[in-house]
Amino acid sequence: MTVASGGPPLDRLCALVKRESLGGAYALLTFEHEEVSRALAGQFAMIQPEISGDLLLRRPFSIMDVDSATGRFTIFLKAVGAGSKAVFDLRAGERARVLGPLGHGFSLPAASERVVMVGGGYGVAPFALFSRVLKPSPPFHLFYGGRSAAELPLVRELERRGIPLTLSTDDGTRGEKGRVTGPLVPALSVGEGTVRLYACGPEAMMHAVAGIAAEREIPCEVSLDPWMGCGIGTCLGCVVKIQEPGEGRPRNRPACTEGPVFDSRRVIWPQGGPA
Amino acid sequence: MTPDDPAAAPSLGVRIGALTLKNPLLAASGTCGYGLEIAHLVDLSTLGGIVTKGLYLAARDGCEVPRIAETPAGLLNAIGLQGIGIRAFVESVLPRLQAHNTAVIVNVCGETIEEYAEVARLASQAPGVHALEINISCPNVKTGGIAFGTDPVMTHDVVAAVRRASRLPVIPKLSPNVTDITVFARACEEAGADAVSCVNTFLGLAIDVESRKPKLAFGTGGLSGPAIRPLAVRMTWQAARAVKIPIIGIGGIAAANDALEFLIAGATAVQVGTLNFSRPNIYAEIEAGLRDYLTRHDLKNIQALSGTLQYPR
Repeated sequence: MTVASGGPPLDRLCALVKRESLGGAYALLTFEHEEVSRALAGQFAMIQPEISGDLLLRRPFSIMDVDSATGRFTIFLKAVGAGSKAVFDLRAGERARVLGPLGHGFSLPAASERVVMVGGGYGVAPFALFSRVLKPSPPFHLFYGGRSAAELPLVRELERRGIPLTLSTDDGTRGEKGRVTGPLVPALSVGEGTVRLYACGPEAMMHAVAGIAAEREIPCEVSLDPWMGCGIGTCLGCVVKIQEPGEGRPRNRPACTEGPVFDSRRVIWPQGGPA
Repeated sequence: MTPDDPAAAPSLGVRIGALTLKNPLLAASGTCGYGLEIAHLVDLSTLGGIVTKGLYLAARDGCEVPRIAETPAGLLNAIGLQGIGIRAFVESVLPRLQAHNTAVIVNVCGETIEEYAEVARLASQAPGVHALEINISCPNVKTGGIAFGTDPVMTHDVVAAVRRASRLPVIPKLSPNVTDITVFARACEEAGADAVSCVNTFLGLAIDVESRKPKLAFGTGGLSGPAIRPLAVRMTWQAARAVKIPIIGIGGIAAANDALEFLIAGATAVQVGTLNFSRPNIYAEIEAGLRDYLTRHDLKNIQALSGTLQYPR
């Protein structure tokens, strides 16, 4: 499989070429879309079925994997609401409107840095692609947390890819019991070189990771996931408060075009921040 | 070919007062940014024009999130007119927009009548602005907005003030949140408006039953999308019969037939709004549908269609 390097987004009506159920509300969906097949890790696509009935808006999906040689990309999907359920219900051969690749992806680490990725729930998706970009160096490790073993449906796929994993679940049914930040903290002080953190998952998890990074002065990027309407910066539904160094106060920035990946030091969290 | 040539392609060109549009399709305010945001996805020169996001004198932050919620065939929003302000628009956006060869209509906002007039004056002085749409109908701001659009005297006064401040075509955008829209259409006409946009969003409320809080941080929001289309077509029809100035129909247009409904009801042009979010390149499809309709109905130009509703007596 081939990884290429970004490019302008395009809106295409494209076929679902492969659908793999991962049990429960989870699935892997592979579409044919040349431009999105050149997406960078952390970028996303706005997707809706060709026949979408009364559902107006597309939903954003993080790119889990790409193959620019075949012009295909894969999303890891959890059906959580009507919009994602409609995409989840697509069958192979059916078509969807796919606009992408969109947004800014993760910045690449320096060769001397050690990469620590933190994925919560379906937020783990972009780290599958990011791991491929990072191979063979610098060294990387993925902390993957969820509510229970059933909420870690991507473990086998990530293991198959040889991604070094530490698992945790809130109820202890898989990996370490408790939050994903439990095993994360001690791991940050072990090993060679300086660490660079990347987090994608529920807001509370990213807020906690940003706090851990701030305390230790570790560079950290978070992929924010507010309610998104258009993905192209026109609806202004998905704004997040960002404090840029040269500006007197934080401003509302659309996560779709200025993110979704942000330097965690710039994010003004609704919970108060950086913890 | 001359215009009388029976083989000539039907014309989609329309006139809104002194403003000539190459076709009746405009991108609605608040759904296409300042135009440049969508220029990589849709060829702006194929549109009749774009209506900018609402502009005040100063930049604004808008509402807190959540700002949008999807409802059946609709979108409820309370963005709160986040924007860069008229000066930044004129200085940094307008020069780049001019290259796209489309009509630029500036959506003029204000908290006071004086602010509306000043924004209108600054927009009118800038090269490349073709008309002004007056936002007297935003339901999501605490000062101004809908307050001007739901009182006919205030509507008249703000339109008259903008009229005095500008030589460009002036197009107030009516609020549907009134009992009788014809009163407001007439107030605009009497104040010197060249046309009216009909309509802005309907005030709505969506509730998260678990938290028992509104789904939007602002509380109420404005409803748009196909859910409101029959309401907006009805109001377009009422307004068109009440005034002589042209009507620009707006409300959930998602296909050529939707645009045709507004035109037949009495609109001269239409705006596509919410569908820009999910189908940014929908214009080619609508335009092709309009051409096909004119050909099938043996109409030479789309203006001939306006107000041809066969309503039961």
